[in-house]
Amino acid sequence: MLDAIRKLREQAKKLLEEKKVEMVIGFGEGTELARTTPVFITSPEEVSALTWGPFCANNLVKYLTDYRNLQGNVAVVVKGCDSRSVNRLLTDNQIDRDKVVVLGVPCPGQLDWHLVAATVNPAAKLKGISDDGESFTVKTDAGDYKFDKKESMLHKCLVCENPNPIVSDMTVGKEQPVKNYENRFAEVTALEQLGTEEKSKYWDKQFSRCLRCYACRNVCTVCTCRTCVFDQMQPMWVSKRNNLSENTSFHLIRAFHVAGRCVDCGECDRVCPVDIPLRKLNQKILKDLGDLFDTPTPGSKADLTSPLGEFATGDPEEFM
Amino acid sequence: MDSRVVSKAQLPELLDKLARDYILVAPVHEEETVTLFKKVSGANEVQLDYTNSDVSPKGCLFPQTEKTISYTYTGDTLDMKEAAEPPKTALFGVRPCDIKSILALDPVFEGKFLDSYYLDKRKNTVIIGLSCSKVLSTCFCTAFNSGPCDGSGADLMFTELGDKYYVEVNTDKGSSLVEAYSQFFGKQDTEQLAKAKEEQAKKLEGQFTRKVDLEGVKQVLDENFELPYWDKVFKKCLGCGICTFVCPTCHCFDIFDYVTGEVSGDRFRCWDSCMFPDFTLMAGGHNPRPSKKERVRNRFMHKLKYHLDRYNLEGCVGCGRCISKCPVNIDITQIIKDLKEVGQNA
Repeated sequence: MLDAIRKLREQAKKLLEEKKVEMVIGFGEGTELARTTPVFITSPEEVSALTWGPFCANNLVKYLTDYRNLQGNVAVVVKGCDSRSVNRLLTDNQIDRDKVVVLGVPCPGQLDWHLVAATVNPAAKLKGISDDGESFTVKTDAGDYKFDKKESMLHKCLVCENPNPIVSDMTVGKEQPVKNYENRFAEVTALEQLGTEEKSKYWDKQFSRCLRCYACRNVCTVCTCRTCVFDQMQPMWVSKRNNLSENTSFHLIRAFHVAGRCVDCGECDRVCPVDIPLRKLNQKILKDLGDLFDTPTPGSKADLTSPLGEFATGDPEEFM
Repeated sequence: MDSRVVSKAQLPELLDKLARDYILVAPVHEEETVTLFKKVSGANEVQLDYTNSDVSPKGCLFPQTEKTISYTYTGDTLDMKEAAEPPKTALFGVRPCDIKSILALDPVFEGKFLDSYYLDKRKNTVIIGLSCSKVLSTCFCTAFNSGPCDGSGADLMFTELGDKYYVEVNTDKGSSLVEAYSQFFGKQDTEQLAKAKEEQAKKLEGQFTRKVDLEGVKQVLDENFELPYWDKVFKKCLGCGICTFVCPTCHCFDIFDYVTGEVSGDRFRCWDSCMFPDFTLMAGGHNPRPSKKERVRNRFMHKLKYHLDRYNLEGCVGCGRCISKCPVNIDITQIIKDLKEVGQNA
């Protein structure tokens, strides 16, 4: 992993020195051992701020739309799951492929900060990480910590579809084995087994505690509307009142709005301050789209169109 | 100061009694990983094995959504119904940082305009604090002259010591509660327990990993509204409202009418967030805080300067929620450190 960090810095330095990019968006050391923070590097001298490892959960592709009007190009560090977002933004004409340099990093999975925070010494300095297959060993100046992947990884990583970036201009690090999973949608399937009332009770409980902080929307790479429907005052589709009815409207409108475009990066789920399992909601739609239209996860191939975003004159109009 | 002892075995009975006589609001494990302050019907719902709730208990005094008036027009007359007097409430299990935050909110709502919605609830609420038994990596209350066992601001302060709770009786409100439920509040061993509490506080204070030094930070902000530093910090901000909504001292709100039909409606006030673009958006389309840069700066200026300017009270209590919850690791303790450095290099 340290080798990958070195190479990443080398590549970033070269890109900046040769003025091929104006900015490199990557992961930097966070304020605790088990966290990283997005960094925006504009000069070759700053590349030592770049890091990589199992604490790089953020999908940095989100920031590409912030810088699409820069004169120069932007390089961005991208994991496999994040690379689906790149494809999706390209399909939506949100970014210009010629203006983006994708620094792909094959990823062995990301640890969930909230699950490991209590174990590690937050002030320790990272010395290295070894990937032991079933577990990670995080080596620090305060000792080594071993984390079982099944227990400590982000749930999405346990059924990762793309450990290696699908879009990449320069790949840094060792290619990761692609695994086949019997049921990628096990969590959704379990929910589907519940009766209508139980399902409703389950989601009512989740949505009731929503704070409407809009972190799920703001972190979402496919949320690119200039004015979001939830920020509109007239007409006020969803009011600022925090109650089950308004909260449910918010989540369902959002789920349907990203249906067929959601790349399943899981960021909405990760950032929710009250742990609403939003990925389950989006995965249900993803699963249904797969069952109905035999479509792969959005973004998992270049130029995939969404079955819900396409108009073909030959479509049957059974409902008319 | 008066002090008492409550045996752990008797606490459930006390809580059951409180739930009968008051609206009892206490920490509840909403999910395995989520602890929130909620209204409970008895001791069996209360979970005291928590470090810090995911959202602060400020909503008990300043709800996220509050109906302030209902109105109906009938003919030429306007009928207005104001909110009813809030019920007697016991807020139980509040950590020192959150107690301190209520002291920071008081002058906001008790300023030139008396905010009866907050003040009536404050008057009718008895605050029962609970000392911490664990320090999180994100905790830094010690930076604000507080600590994991600091009960100032609570009416009663409970500290768990072995099979007992040592209870400090800090106010008349607390004292009347002790009197009303005197069968639960013993007087034995209080001196010894007071000492044990001091020791516990010292032990916990040694476990803080974040060393935060505020010296000089406000001065930097007093002297510099524009700092190149802000050009760096805001880039990663997603502009969500997590930090402001989980914050125990954030208190901004928006007022709007929810009109039903043409003749009646309700007026609500709801939490608002200075991180949202429409927070400062004016009717004519001008926005004095047009980008995330101005919004991020404003939030930290509010925490580290404006609140002190207005009320001579800290605008942050070191609960660490914004650090723990920020999706991009914007960390107020890092901001404090950086601003200090900016000041030293100036």
